[in-house]
Amino acid sequence: MVDVSLILLFVIDLVAVFAAYLIVTVSLNLEFGYTGIPNFGKVLPFAAGAFAAGSFPGRLLAELSGLPRGIEAYASNEILATCVREFAFRKPQVLTYLNYVEDNVVVTTCLTKLLQSSPLLSISVLLLTLLVAAAVGATLGYVSSYPAIRLREDYLAMTLLAMAELVSVVGYNYPEIVGGTLGVSLPDPYAWVGGERRFLLATVALAVMALITFFYMERVSLSPFGRVMKAVRDGELASEALGKDVVRLRQKVLIIASALAGIGGALWAFYLGGVISTGYDRVTWTFWPWVMVIIGGAANNLGVVLGTGIFVTSRKLIDFYKFALEPYLPFSVVWVDRLALGILLIFMLIVRPEGILAEKPRTAMKKEKILSIMRRAKTKP
Amino acid sequence: MSVEPIIRDALIFGCLLSLLSIGLTLTYLITKVPNFSHGSIATIGTYVTLSSGEILGASPYAFIPLAFLLGAVTSLILYYSAIKPLIRRGAGLVSLMVATIAFELALIAALNMYADYVTKTFKIASRDFILRKYDFQILGEPGVFVTSPAIAVLLVVLLHIFLTKTKFGVAMRAAIEDQALAGVLGINIRRVYVVSWFLSGGLAGLAGAMLGLWFQADPGYGSRVLVSIFAASVVGGLLNIYGAILGGLLVGLSEILGTNWLGMAFGTWILPYKPVIPLIAMVVTLLFAPKGITGVKWRSLRFRWKA
Repeated sequence: MVDVSLILLFVIDLVAVFAAYLIVTVSLNLEFGYTGIPNFGKVLPFAAGAFAAGSFPGRLLAELSGLPRGIEAYASNEILATCVREFAFRKPQVLTYLNYVEDNVVVTTCLTKLLQSSPLLSISVLLLTLLVAAAVGATLGYVSSYPAIRLREDYLAMTLLAMAELVSVVGYNYPEIVGGTLGVSLPDPYAWVGGERRFLLATVALAVMALITFFYMERVSLSPFGRVMKAVRDGELASEALGKDVVRLRQKVLIIASALAGIGGALWAFYLGGVISTGYDRVTWTFWPWVMVIIGGAANNLGVVLGTGIFVTSRKLIDFYKFALEPYLPFSVVWVDRLALGILLIFMLIVRPEGILAEKPRTAMKKEKILSIMRRAKTKP
Repeated sequence: MSVEPIIRDALIFGCLLSLLSIGLTLTYLITKVPNFSHGSIATIGTYVTLSSGEILGASPYAFIPLAFLLGAVTSLILYYSAIKPLIRRGAGLVSLMVATIAFELALIAALNMYADYVTKTFKIASRDFILRKYDFQILGEPGVFVTSPAIAVLLVVLLHIFLTKTKFGVAMRAAIEDQALAGVLGINIRRVYVVSWFLSGGLAGLAGAMLGLWFQADPGYGSRVLVSIFAASVVGGLLNIYGAILGGLLVGLSEILGTNWLGMAFGTWILPYKPVIPLIAMVVTLLFAPKGITGVKWRSLRFRWKA
C-alpha cells in the first residue's frame, strides 16, 4: 500500500518536472530552433515568472484583506482573524502589523486557509498571477534583448546571458522580492482540493499549460509567421531584402517565448509552494533546456518533447540511484553527472547536430487538402 | 605610506581583467566565436595557486608557468575536441557557442571534482578560500599589487612585439584580417588558430592564478567573472587586442571603484550589486557605440562639435 503511493508520488513529480521543462524547452525551440535566436538567458523569464508568483499574489491578497493594517481591519473575516490570533500566542505583534517577507509564514498560512475556503477566489488569484507572470516575462524578454537585438547573434547571446545573471543577483540580494537568501512560501491556490491532492492538481495545471504551449507552438510554426521565422534563420539578408522586419520579428518571438516561460515559472513556483532565488540558476534553467532541445532536435517540437522526456527521466533515475555510487568516489556524484552532460552535448553537436528527430519540411495543411485545392484551381476555366 | 585598499582591489582586478579580455578577444578575432568557458579556464589557474600554496607550501609565483600551461592545454582541448570538428562540419555560430558552453559545464564539473578531492585527501578548504598569505610583501604592500600590473604590462608589450615584429605575428594579423586571402598567400591558417587558442587559454590560466592570490574564489568563480570579461571585451569592441586592454582596465576599475563609490553615496546595501556595473557598461556600449571605444571615430566626433 505504501509502495503504491510512493510510486504515485514519483510519477506525479516526474510529470510535473517534465511539464515545467517542456514549457521552457518548447518556447526555447521557438527562439533557437525556428528563429535562430541564441537565448542563453532562458532562466531570466522563467525566474521572473516564479518571482512574480512569489511576490504578487501574497501581497495582493494581504493588502486586499487588510492583513498589514492590524487585526481591526480584518476582524470581520472569521478565518483570517482566528488564524492570526493563533500565531499571536507566540508573537503578539502580528496582531498589529504583518510584513509579507518578515512574517511570511503567518501571512501565507492564513492566506492559504482563506483560499482553501473559496475555490473561486483561488482560481482567480491563480489566473491573475499567471497573467502578471506572463507580462513580467514578456517585458523582461523585450528589455533584456533590446541592447543587442540589432547586432550579430554572438552579441545577443552574451547580452542575454549577462542579463540573466542580473536577475539572480537582484533576487538574492533584494529580500523585498522573494525573501532573498531565505526565500518565501506562497499562498496555495490549490489547497481547496485538500491535502496531498494539491500536488496532483498543481501537476495537472502544469501539464495543461505544457499542452497549450506545445499546440500553440505547433500552430505558430506552421503559420505564415512561422515561415518568416525560418526564413530569417536561414537567410537573414534575403528575408530583409524581401521586406521582412528582422528585428521586429526577433522581438516578437522573444516576447512570446518569454511570456510562456514566465507562466511556466509561476506554475512551477505554485507547484513547489515556495520561491528561493538560488533555485533559478544558469545551469538548471538555461543549459539543461538547451541540452534537451539539442538532443531532441531543434526546430522539431516533437523532437523537443522527446529530448525533454529522455533528459528528465534519466535525471530522475540518476538522482534516485546516485547515492549507491557515492561511497566509491572521492567527489560528489553530481559532478560526474554534469561532466558527462557537457561531453554528451559536444558529442551530440558534432555527431548528430540535428538531434534525434531532425527538422522536417512540413506543409501548413494536410496534403490531400492542398491537392484538392490545386485540383479545383485547375478545373476552373 | 599605505595605499587605499579599494585602489589595490581595483588595480589588481583591472589589470587581470585586461589579460582575460585580451584572451577572449584573441580567439574571437580568429574564430569569430565568444568563448563562454573563458572564465572557467581562468579558474584552473586559481586552483593551481591553491594547490601550490596549500598542498606543496611553495610560492604560487613559481607555479604561474604551470597555470599558464594548464590553461593553454585546456583551451587547446576545447579547440581540438569541439571547435575544430564543428568548423570542419560547417556548423553555425550558435552551435559553436553552445559547444563552448557545454565545455564550461564540463570544466566546472571537473573543477568541483578536484575541489572535492583536495578537501577529502588533504583536509584543506577548497571553496571560498583566500590565499593572500602565500603572497610576499613589497614595502608593506602585497606582492600581487605590484606584480599584476607589471606582468600585465610585460605581457602586453611582448604581445605587441609578437604581433608587429615577428613573422608569425604579422601572419596572424593577416589571417585575422582576411583568412581566405592569407591562406592563398601561404600562411598556415590552422597554426594561427592553434596559437591563438593556446595563447588565449594560457593568458586566462595566468590571470586566474593571480586572481587567486587576492580575491576569494571557488569553482564557479570564473563563471561569474565571465560577465565582466564579456563586458570588458565588448567595451573594447572585440575588434583588436588594444581595445581589449583598454576595456579590461575600464570595466575592472569602474566595477570596483564604482561600486565602492556608490556604496559610500547611497549606503552599503548597494555593494552586493557589483555585477550590475559591467552589465551597464556593456549595455551602454552596445546601445551607443556597438563597435566599442576603439571603434568610435573620436576625430569625426570632435569635428561635429566644432561645426
